[in-house]
Amino acid sequence: MIKFENVTKIYPGMSSPAVDNLSFTVPTGEICTIVGPSGCGKTTALKLVNRLHELTDGNIYVLDKRGETQNVLEMDPIVLRRSIGYIIQQIGLFPHCTILKNIGTVPQMLGWDDARIRRRAEELVEMMNMPVEFLDRYPHELSGGQRQRIGVARGMAIDPPVMLMDEPFGALDPINRTLLQNEFLRLQQEIKKTILFVTHDIDEAIKMGDKICILNTGGHLEQFGSPANILARPANKFVEDFVGADRALKRLNLVRVEEAMNAHPPLLQATQNVEQAVGFMVEQGIRSAYVVDAAQTLKGYVRVRDLKGKTGWVGEFVEPAATTIQMTTSLKDALSEMLVVDYANVCVVDAQNRVRGLIDTNMIHEAVLKSAAIAEGEEE
Amino acid sequence: MMTTDVAQMQRQNGVWREMLNGWMSILTEPNLDTFRAQKTRDDPLKTVLGVGLLGLVLGLWALAIKPAALVTGMGTEAILVDLLRMVFFTETDFFIISLLLFFIAREFGGIGSFSQQSYLLSLVTVPLGMIVVAFLFVGEKLGLTLTAVLNPLSPVGVAGIFVILLALYGFLLLLFALQAAHEMQSSAVFYTLGAPLLAWGILRVASMFAAGEENVITTEWGFIADQWAKGTAQELLLGHLWLVAFSVSIAVVLGVMIGIFITWPARRPRFSHLVVLIPLALFLLLWAVSSGLLGEGIADQIMSTTKDWSHSLTRIENLYFGPLLAIVAAIIAKPAAAGMIVAMFTIILYALFLAGETAGDLTLYIAGIILTIPSVALFGAMIKPLGIGPFNAAFALILYAQLPILRNTYTGIKAVTPEIVEAGRGMGMTEAQLLLKVKLPMAVPVIMTGVRVSIVMLIGIASIAAYIGNDTLGRYIFDGIQRAQEKRYYAGAILVAILALIVDYFLGWLQDRLTPEGLKGRQEAV
Repeated sequence: MIKFENVTKIYPGMSSPAVDNLSFTVPTGEICTIVGPSGCGKTTALKLVNRLHELTDGNIYVLDKRGETQNVLEMDPIVLRRSIGYIIQQIGLFPHCTILKNIGTVPQMLGWDDARIRRRAEELVEMMNMPVEFLDRYPHELSGGQRQRIGVARGMAIDPPVMLMDEPFGALDPINRTLLQNEFLRLQQEIKKTILFVTHDIDEAIKMGDKICILNTGGHLEQFGSPANILARPANKFVEDFVGADRALKRLNLVRVEEAMNAHPPLLQATQNVEQAVGFMVEQGIRSAYVVDAAQTLKGYVRVRDLKGKTGWVGEFVEPAATTIQMTTSLKDALSEMLVVDYANVCVVDAQNRVRGLIDTNMIHEAVLKSAAIAEGEEE
Repeated sequence: MMTTDVAQMQRQNGVWREMLNGWMSILTEPNLDTFRAQKTRDDPLKTVLGVGLLGLVLGLWALAIKPAALVTGMGTEAILVDLLRMVFFTETDFFIISLLLFFIAREFGGIGSFSQQSYLLSLVTVPLGMIVVAFLFVGEKLGLTLTAVLNPLSPVGVAGIFVILLALYGFLLLLFALQAAHEMQSSAVFYTLGAPLLAWGILRVASMFAAGEENVITTEWGFIADQWAKGTAQELLLGHLWLVAFSVSIAVVLGVMIGIFITWPARRPRFSHLVVLIPLALFLLLWAVSSGLLGEGIADQIMSTTKDWSHSLTRIENLYFGPLLAIVAAIIAKPAAAGMIVAMFTIILYALFLAGETAGDLTLYIAGIILTIPSVALFGAMIKPLGIGPFNAAFALILYAQLPILRNTYTGIKAVTPEIVEAGRGMGMTEAQLLLKVKLPMAVPVIMTGVRVSIVMLIGIASIAAYIGNDTLGRYIFDGIQRAQEKRYYAGAILVAILALIVDYFLGWLQDRLTPEGLKGRQEAV
């Protein structure tokens, strides 16, 4: 848990505050994104938590490793900072240290022995889908995306319950950013950290956040709530403008394919005979169908017109599917994928390429309507 | 029969035109791509014809500068034989040298053919050679001797400089030609051309000694060898090195400390800072006692004691550490001055410690001003408090070394990306840990550059310390000026230069060793 209580920060010599009477609570295990225009004090707010900046008024509480609520103002700043994961852009890696030493920075200061540091670093690097050999390399030998993964690993080195992330993916190209965002979201489902995540990108804020905190210039809180809530019901004109005119579309980001798909689609077995298959498709009123093997693994698809008048097994006529979608993909990405391949419906598969469902544009439409209704309901 | 002749004629016509085009393109667009383009038009016939043409021009020139009476007396046949001989020798010289270069280039990984290489080389040598000949011919007609034209200090110096520039330009073009012919790395090309030149230089010098020639090189060598045999050269060399080493080791500690202080935020005085008073009081006391403030009797006693120590130090006969002992002895002999100086630096350091970065600009400014004081003036000004000898010299050298060291420490630490410092601080590093684990390691390459610069600079200034009675290589220079002996001050200059080069090379190696592994690749990437 991270709790801001009437937090105000006024820089010396400034008349207006950088953070103005900020109060909100991030529940344990959730990501809260702080978003706003430049100069809105979002980074300042973040740095108040680990006391890189000292607040002027108010209190901030964090939950420590033993599960006790601590007022950060009462802790020694050095001890406090070592107990909180701090992740900034990849340029924050120490260029003169190996990856191992980078990851081991905090553990080493806490007095872990070398073997334990190495074990933990290996664990983290594997968690980040990188080979263990990377530990003995230097940051400049890695690509931008790899460096950023190391940055995240470094922040998690001592498995801190609370983490602060300051535009961690800001320096990456769009492809790598999306990749890392997805990886991190998947990771978060396992590690369940309480995270304060600063970004200037509203799309990232919506995608990453369980809660979003929208700040205006002068560190004024405009709205705090779940992404669905904020998209459905912007509190005022500022939030509405900031979220953008396409907020209805943005809602697509909030729903995952597994929530919208048809989990019991009509499928054909590769070992079925052709006549039987044609009968099945006509009966279902479909012109094509996906084909799976006995283990439900996707083989491809067949069309009625290709099968009519033929004999043999369905497996002989299968054409490979141009695309498939993972269950955790957002509806926005799924829709975009469907527009590209021009399929009426797309197969949803899991990591082992087993078919778990089908999705088409109608289902996406329904899901969006439903989520809007839920968000409205929450608001009441 | 007729047709082939015509074809032959046409071909030759084309060859001459192509050759001219080749020369023009090299002269107007002297770059690697031009040479690469020419490489595809390589034709041994063009090479042979071009070089032959140069031989012919050389032959004509040789005839032209002979006394007219001699030439008219020779008869047409003899003149033709003369010309043909010159053409023949030019061709053979050219191809022998080209073959030599070809074999060397092959050793360095060259891949071009001999014919290609010869053609590209001829593209450079033929037109440039003809220009040089034309130039010399005109000079000769104007009544200038070859030596006068080539001597940059002669009244027609501009002409000499032109020749030198032309030679350098030719060397550069030859580098291009070789590189284009063999597609080698430029360093390998340099070695290919440099190795034979070096070999030639060595042989030339060797022949000077073998023939017992009397010139600058042989007399200088004779003088230095003589001094070395007597042991004087080693003595001065060691004195020089020790003076620099002693001064630099103190200067580095001082400079890096000041450099670190002036990158810190300003701090408030604390009770614990009173520790500074201990050395301060100690050295002020030393000063007070030995300068007679607490009674002449004690002062005399101290002075006689330190004089004894100093004497016993100087009496130790050690070839290698002798000069170092001499420096220590000189400092011990002046306890009042030593106490005063250390007390002064203690106060300055503490003031900078408190002021932090607010004193940054001022400190760098003062260090800059110190560097502008002429060394002879500083040595002179310090004679009264510090006497003549190593104490004075070391003090001045330490001051001179400050600017490069502390400025590089300052910029090196300041240049550490703020995000990296922020990351370290955000992870809970203390300021001391940030300094020792992040800022200083990252600043090491820059600091080492400063140390390197100041050491090389001190090696130069240390020669001037001979002026106030130090045994450094500058002794040769001052003696040489006094006695108007060229060989003496040349010897001083040459030895100082060689010393500086060797030390700089060693420091470069050291810098490379000290640079953190992760920063090296990064610099290459930049």
